[in-house]
Amino acid sequence: MGLIGYLLLAAGLFSLGVFGLVTRKNAVGVMVAVELMANAVNLNLVAFSRFHGGNTGQVFALFSIAITVAEVVVGLALVILLFRARGDVTLDLASELKE
Amino acid sequence: MRAIDWALLSTFLPLATALLLVLVSPLRRTGLGAGLVSVVSAVATFVGAVMVLASRFGAEAGVVHRTIQWLPHSALGGVAHGRGAIELGVHVDGISATMLVVVTFVALCVQVFSIGYMAEEPKADFGRYFTWQSLFLFAMNSLVIAPNLLQLFLGWELVGLVSYLLIGYWWKKPSAARAALKAFWITKFADMGLLAGLIVLFLATGTFDWTVTTAAAGTVTLLLFVAVMGKSAQFPLHIWLPDAMEGPTPVSALLHAATMVAAGVFLVVRAFPLFEQAPNTLTVMAYVGSFTALFAAVVAVVQTDIKKVLAYSTCSQLGYMVCALGAGSQAAGFFHLTTHAFFKALLFLAAGSLIHGVHSNELSHMGGLLKKMKVTSGAFIIGSLALAGVPGLAGFFSKDLILEEVLHRGLWAPLGALLVAAFLTAFYMGRVMWVALLGEPSEHAKHAHESGPSMLAPLIGLSVLAIGVGYFGGTLSGLYGEPVHFHLSAIGIVATVLGLSGLGISYWMFGAPQGGKAILEAFAPVGRLARSGAVNGFFAWSYRSVMTRVAAAIGWFDRYVIDGLINGIAYGTLEAGSRLRVIQTGRVQDYVYVVVAAMLLIGLYGAFWGR
Repeated sequence: MGLIGYLLLAAGLFSLGVFGLVTRKNAVGVMVAVELMANAVNLNLVAFSRFHGGNTGQVFALFSIAITVAEVVVGLALVILLFRARGDVTLDLASELKE
Repeated sequence: MRAIDWALLSTFLPLATALLLVLVSPLRRTGLGAGLVSVVSAVATFVGAVMVLASRFGAEAGVVHRTIQWLPHSALGGVAHGRGAIELGVHVDGISATMLVVVTFVALCVQVFSIGYMAEEPKADFGRYFTWQSLFLFAMNSLVIAPNLLQLFLGWELVGLVSYLLIGYWWKKPSAARAALKAFWITKFADMGLLAGLIVLFLATGTFDWTVTTAAAGTVTLLLFVAVMGKSAQFPLHIWLPDAMEGPTPVSALLHAATMVAAGVFLVVRAFPLFEQAPNTLTVMAYVGSFTALFAAVVAVVQTDIKKVLAYSTCSQLGYMVCALGAGSQAAGFFHLTTHAFFKALLFLAAGSLIHGVHSNELSHMGGLLKKMKVTSGAFIIGSLALAGVPGLAGFFSKDLILEEVLHRGLWAPLGALLVAAFLTAFYMGRVMWVALLGEPSEHAKHAHESGPSMLAPLIGLSVLAIGVGYFGGTLSGLYGEPVHFHLSAIGIVATVLGLSGLGISYWMFGAPQGGKAILEAFAPVGRLARSGAVNGFFAWSYRSVMTRVAAAIGWFDRYVIDGLINGIAYGTLEAGSRLRVIQTGRVQDYVYVVVAAMLLIGLYGAFWGR
């Protein structure tokens, strides 16, 4: 299986993530979708790294994972605050900022 | 010390004095102390001016021209075409040296006189008065020694400012405050001509020198002449000068008779090389000047306030000077400026002393003062006779010189106007003398008493010059050109006869009881017209009907067009905002839709069209 297979898998994962992002009402579900998209990107990086024979892509993937962890921390903190404030994490209801 | 040092001393010492009095307010509030400081400074200033004049006869008699760079050429942003920088400095020649002595001597006399005249003023006001007097001396001297027209302009504006401050010295009096504003506005209006003239001159030649030769001389000099008309009270911009008499009488003597109003004439004398290149401007000046001389003399005849008579007389004499310059004679105009400064300052100070004696400006409140105030009356008579052109006194020589020059140029209409004005001058001064000094004493005049020595000493000093300065015409004019040689000509005899007959007729009409009433009645319509203040009325009318309408139109434009534009932009922004806010739903997924759709579009563009 060549590079194309990895890229197709990553594209599929990314599309799944986008689908989840726009359809889920639940904030935790949205975050899972974002994680999917990020990991699709990481998969791309590693695949390119392997087939081009350099280490840069792997380093980048590690870097990306670290950033994703930080993002998840901030996101989960937001979700917890949202839950404490209204006992519910449905995103459609959290639209006060439009005023 | 050399001439330039003395000139700088006489310019900056008064400035230092004024600054001292402004900054050290305890000194200013002592009143008399401030006055004495100012007088001592004026004495030193006068000595400096005399030394400058003396240097004209000494070893270094050449023109001294020393400047420093104020704005370098690079600061002018290419306007100057690489030809020059803006400079300040000192220019000492016969003209500025003579003018310095005239200004500082009259200023000294006026300051000494003021010590007595203003003695009853509150102390703080007295100090303020002398602060402005010192500031005036600085302003006037920096104008006189100016090496170029720009510095002259700076001094010109400064003397205008001090004139405003001193006319409005009694600012609590509404009439004085209004007179100060009127003087300021009208002279500022005229000064725009000077500014415009300077700009045209600079654009054409790249310098502010008056010696430059330029094709734009016609435009420049006409614009400068507008400023001269304002400053030197030429018809129809003379209307501020009679009102300026609201100021203290010594101020009228210094600023509004001898020196500041003569600054306009001085400008022409100074910039005469420019004016000589513009024969048309000179012709305009001859006609405007002679008309002013005649017009103001007619109005002076019917004034009942002694200061107003002298004010219109000043207008009239300034008209003489302007006419002389218009006839192309720098020497005649400047010489009359010199003699006039002395005898008119003398007249004003003597009038101030009379006013001090009777506590009124009105001629009808005076009368019989010759017996009560002998020295003052004597001084007033000497000044009047000098003004009337009685042979042997200063005014005779300078007036004769002017008439000769005007005759020489063949300017017949101005010559006629000047001759009639000469007659009227003698007539109205005769009237004042007969009524105020000889006539029946009124209630006010019965308690009149002679003024103190500080007021009489300046009168005596000025009297000596009002008699004597006429004999130095040749010497003074020799300092900056061909010396003028005085010789009694036919026109001089005619003018003298006219002057003497004016005095005689005024005696017949006002001095002798019941004489000449019929003539008075015959000229009643002229008198009514002269009293009506028609020129003032014209300005008031033009203000009401033209200026206010223009202002209303501009106001409408501002309110509806300018403001409308601004308000329209603001309304449009608000409206657009409230329309656009509906797309802000506040739901995260809506935004994600837009982001994903945009990403897809960009990807499609890159895949198919972007290659």
